[in-house]
Order: sequence, then C-alpha cells, then structure tokens
Amino acid sequence: MQRKVSIILENKPGSLVRVVGLFHQRGYNIESLHVDPVINVTDYKYVEEMLNIHLKENEVSHLSITTTVSDDLLRQILRQINKLIDVLVAVEDKN
Amino acid sequence: MLMHALHDEGVELIFGYPGGAALHIYDAIFRQDKIDHILVRHEQGATHAADGYARSTGKPGVVLVTSGPGATNAITGIATAFMDSIPMVILSGQVASHLIGTDAFQETDMIGISRPIVKHSFSIEDASQIPQIVKEAFYIATSGRPGPVVIDIPKDTTAPDTLHEYSYPDSVDIRSYNPPVEPEQEQIQRAVDAIFEAKQPVIYAGGGAINSNASSELYELNEILNIPVTNTLMGLGVYPATDSRFMGMLGMHGTYQANMAMHNADLIIAIGARFDDRITNTPKLFAPNAKIIHFDVDHSSVSKIIEANIAVFGQVKNSLRAIIDTINNSNDDYDLSQIDSWKEQIKEWTEQHGLNHDLYLSETDESQILPQQVVQHVYQITEGNAYVTSDVGQHQMFAAQYYHFDEPRKWINSGGLGTMGFGLPAAMGVKFAFPKDEVVCITGEGSIQMCIQELSTCLQYNLPIKIININNEALGMVKQWQDMNYGGRHSESTYQSSLPDFIKLAESFGHVGIKIEKNSDLKSGLEKAFSLKDKLVFVDVYVDPGEHVYPMLVAPNGSLKDMWLGKGNKV
Repeated sequence: MQRKVSIILENKPGSLVRVVGLFHQRGYNIESLHVDPVINVTDYKYVEEMLNIHLKENEVSHLSITTTVSDDLLRQILRQINKLIDVLVAVEDKN
Repeated sequence: MLMHALHDEGVELIFGYPGGAALHIYDAIFRQDKIDHILVRHEQGATHAADGYARSTGKPGVVLVTSGPGATNAITGIATAFMDSIPMVILSGQVASHLIGTDAFQETDMIGISRPIVKHSFSIEDASQIPQIVKEAFYIATSGRPGPVVIDIPKDTTAPDTLHEYSYPDSVDIRSYNPPVEPEQEQIQRAVDAIFEAKQPVIYAGGGAINSNASSELYELNEILNIPVTNTLMGLGVYPATDSRFMGMLGMHGTYQANMAMHNADLIIAIGARFDDRITNTPKLFAPNAKIIHFDVDHSSVSKIIEANIAVFGQVKNSLRAIIDTINNSNDDYDLSQIDSWKEQIKEWTEQHGLNHDLYLSETDESQILPQQVVQHVYQITEGNAYVTSDVGQHQMFAAQYYHFDEPRKWINSGGLGTMGFGLPAAMGVKFAFPKDEVVCITGEGSIQMCIQELSTCLQYNLPIKIININNEALGMVKQWQDMNYGGRHSESTYQSSLPDFIKLAESFGHVGIKIEKNSDLKSGLEKAFSLKDKLVFVDVYVDPGEHVYPMLVAPNGSLKDMWLGKGNKV
C-alpha cells in the first residue's frame, strides 16, 4: 500500500541525505519526495507540542516521502527515521 | 582548541596516526601533556584499540586519523563499533575548506563514506564551533544506544594562526534527540504480570545490558526469580557464567540447553538484545509458544525481527530496577515452584547434550590438540579473571563457549560485524585501560595476520598481552561451512604451506614466541607464557585442523531446536 511519510528535520546541510540514505540502506524504495523549508511554523504546532520547543521560520524543513510498504515495515521505517539525530519528528501522513 | 575540548570532555587517551590534514592537531598534541596519544601502525588498529578501550571501560574510545586513506582505513573499525553499539568518537582530518570538492591530495568525502555506519557525524565549518560539536559528539556517542560519531575537521579550522574565545559547554541539549531513559510504569506492570504467569520463562540478555551497566540489576532480579538465563555472544559476562542458572550462550553456536530452552519457552525476557539472525535462525519458526517482553533503549530494535508482546523502552538498567521495585512492592509473592518442572527439563537437556567442560582432562599425545582444550587451559591458568579479546571464526566460538565470564566487559569481540583483525588491537586498548590485568587475545592464524603490524605498537608501549594463536592452518569457519554445505570443497580456505613462522615473526617484533604442537606440552607451554609477566608472548598452538564448532544451528529453514551436535549428528 502506498504511504506518505511526513518528516520534520533540521534545515542544515547533510540532514536530507541521511533520510534518503536510510531508505536505500534498509532496502526501502522512495517513490516521490518533496522538501521545503518551513516558513509558516503555525502549521507545525504538533511538533512544538510534542517536543516542547519553539520553531522559527526556515529553521526546519518539511520532507514528504511516498513509499509502498506494509504496516509493519512502515512502523519500522518511522522508528528508523525518528532515530536520526537531525530528525525532529517523522509520522505517517494519512491525508 | 580541539585538545582543550577533548581534555574538558575527560579524554585521557587517543589512538591515532598522523598525516597532512591532521598536522595542526598533531602539533597541538605535542604541545600539551594532559592527553596521551598512542601511535598505531594502521588506522584500522587505532579504531579497534579505541573500541577495546571503550568496551572494557564503558568510556568512549577516541580515534584521530588524517584525511583520505587515513579516514578510509578507519572505516572497518567504525563499522565494527557501529554494529556492536560501542561509544567512539573519530576525529578525521580533512583537506582545507577551500579545497573541498576539488579532488585535492588525500581528499575523500569522509562524512559520505561513513554515513551508513555512524550514529551521527559532524563537519566543522568554523573553529569556533569546535567546543560545541565535541560536546555534542560525545553526548551522542555515549547516550541512548551508543555508537560511533565522526567529526570531520578541515585543516584550516585547526590552524594555529587564529585565536578564538574558548569555553566548553557544561551540558548539551539536542532538541531532535531524546533517547528514552526511564520506562513507563504501565509497561513494567505488564511485564511483571507476564513473569508471574510464566511456567517456562527464559532470560535472554545481550550487549545492550552491558552497555547499560545493568549486570548487578540483572543478578538481583534473578535472585528473586531464579529463571534460567542465556546470554548472546555480545552479552557474555553480563550474567555470571558460573551461576547455576546460567545455560551458556545461545544461537548459531549456542549450547543445546540454551537453544532448546528458547525454542520451548512460554516467555522470553529479552534484555538489551536484538533478535539477530544468529540468534533466531528462521524467524517464523522462532520460539513458537513464547510471549516476548523486550527491554531496549532503541525503539527501532523492538519488533524489528520478532514481534514483542510487551515493549519496555528505557535504559535497561532503570527498567530492571523498576521491575525489581515493582515485584518487591507487590502484594503477591513470586512462586518459585511454578517453574520447577521447567528447570528439571533444562537440567535434562544439559545432561543429554551439554558442552563437555572437562575435555582438557582427557588429553593424550595419541591425539592432536583440540582448540577447546586450549581455551579450557587458558581459563584455568587465568582463573577466569582475564580480559579476553578474540578475532572472528572458530576460535572465537570456542572462546565464547569454554571461557566462562563472570563479569561484564571482560569478553571483547566483534559480534555484529565479525571483523577479523579485531583481537590484537582491541587487546591493546584493553591493556592501556587496565595495565595490571591479564589481557589475552585468543585468535587464529587467519585473523591475526590481518592486523599483525600492531605487534610493533605493542613493543613501543610495552604491552605484555598474551596472544594465543589457535592455529589450524586454515580459515577454520570457512572450511567448516565448506565441509558441511559444499561437499568438503575447500575453496581458498587453506594457505598451501605459506604460513609464516610465527615464532620468528614475534621475535622480530621484539616479543617472545612459544610453539606448542603436542598435548603434553600444552599446559606447560601456556603456563610458561603466562609466567612471563612483562613480555608479550605469542603462543602458536597447532590444533586438530579437522575440528568443527558444535552445536551448530541447522540453516537455512531450521529453528532453534534444529542443531548439529557433531559431525553427522543432527537433532
């Protein structure tokens, strides 16, 4: 089943390639990928609440990846991505 | 600046090798006296030595290498540490910032090459970042599930001609990195309930329990529960091997009773272990009736291979403490007799097919020396108190099976990556940390040749390690697989009489060599080696080249109960 993963990560050199590299290392395929710096931080209140932090404009990026995986594998992927030091939050985007 | 930061971080020892891009740092090392630098003979040796230091002390190992080949030579050692979750910080020199990307002399993309095998990595862009990055690197390397962290340092950022204000941060907070520490009480209660219900429980503890320094909690818990315990290859020593409840190692070359107990368990209490493929054999056939409680600090290790029924996230030391407290405060008493018949069953398995720990008593010159006997003698002579490092192969398994570790951090081996060449440099790292303790490297003639150059380092720093070379004149484990699965075709696993004279080799490096070929010389030869307290002694023991490691799990498509117990003897 095709899934969309929504990732908030630090907007700094090397962050993106760690996530992309992880997909390859663990044998998952990326079907589409979109990344943007987060300008409007009010869209990411859940991140602020989850980590008890305050986001500033352009400080983090939003990365959206679609991939086709099972439920179990998706859980594993999310755990692996969340483990990356520069990733603040990775969740499944069900919208 | 870098040396100040390392000193403020508490670093006492660096293992490294100089080169162009690291020369500013090396000059700074020369001009200070707080941190010792150990000059190895190959960067791989530096990483393994730092790794041995880290595994034996629990403190992070520190490595310094130059750019290009210095950095790439360190890769195997970084991957070794990564696979076994060992805290390590690797400082790699890099070409000057303005040259990056120009294919400059000795330039390589260290951050890129090391990315899949590090917990995290940093590039220094400006000298002023050094204190903060060093602080973060050590914090990341040592917290949560530990691992190696690379700091890539362009030459210009360590140039002595610029001055910077220096202050070392007291603490560090990385907002995107919050490893779990304390477990949730709800999960603890569920775990306790499951333990109270179990009739056939097994404790399965691994390297994570060592990393978390949880061995006293584990023992304390089992003083209450009396549950049979098995350890992984990485976990040996976290529970005392001479304790009557210990079943030995499990897995590919685990004991019969440990594997049978896991397969037939109704509850597996996994503590800092990751259900590696050497443990589970075929995952879908693994422990069909067992409920799993999994204690781990790393979310991604739980339910990765085997689904956990109860997951307890946190430092396992704290989680075990919480379990003990919960049991002690519980209104119900744990009924020890509920597992009596289970323990009886395990005893029966042990008597049927357990390892023979007295093999060494039956040796004669009619037969060749068995590798197991060598390990048993070493165990007897060192009274079980030595730090033992190993390389990879049959000798590693014999050491794991027959040297009984009663304490954690004394068995130092490359479990996850299986790195040949690990043993000697790792032993150096241990010896630097514990100069007064006996440090033994149990190796084979294949592995030892992969980092043999470090014998020279051992002379320079006077490291009286005892190297026990279990010499079967072949790549034993490869040969065993070829015997068992490839019709005995020994493809490229023997050396056609090309082995060096290890005695002359050791002597040429300034050490002592002892050759042992007969059973009647085995005990006395080893005793002599260990009596030479101030010398590195290289003991070259010729053993039966036909010997295999058993038990051995039947693979592929076998479960944990399917084992070879000897040549042609399958259960």
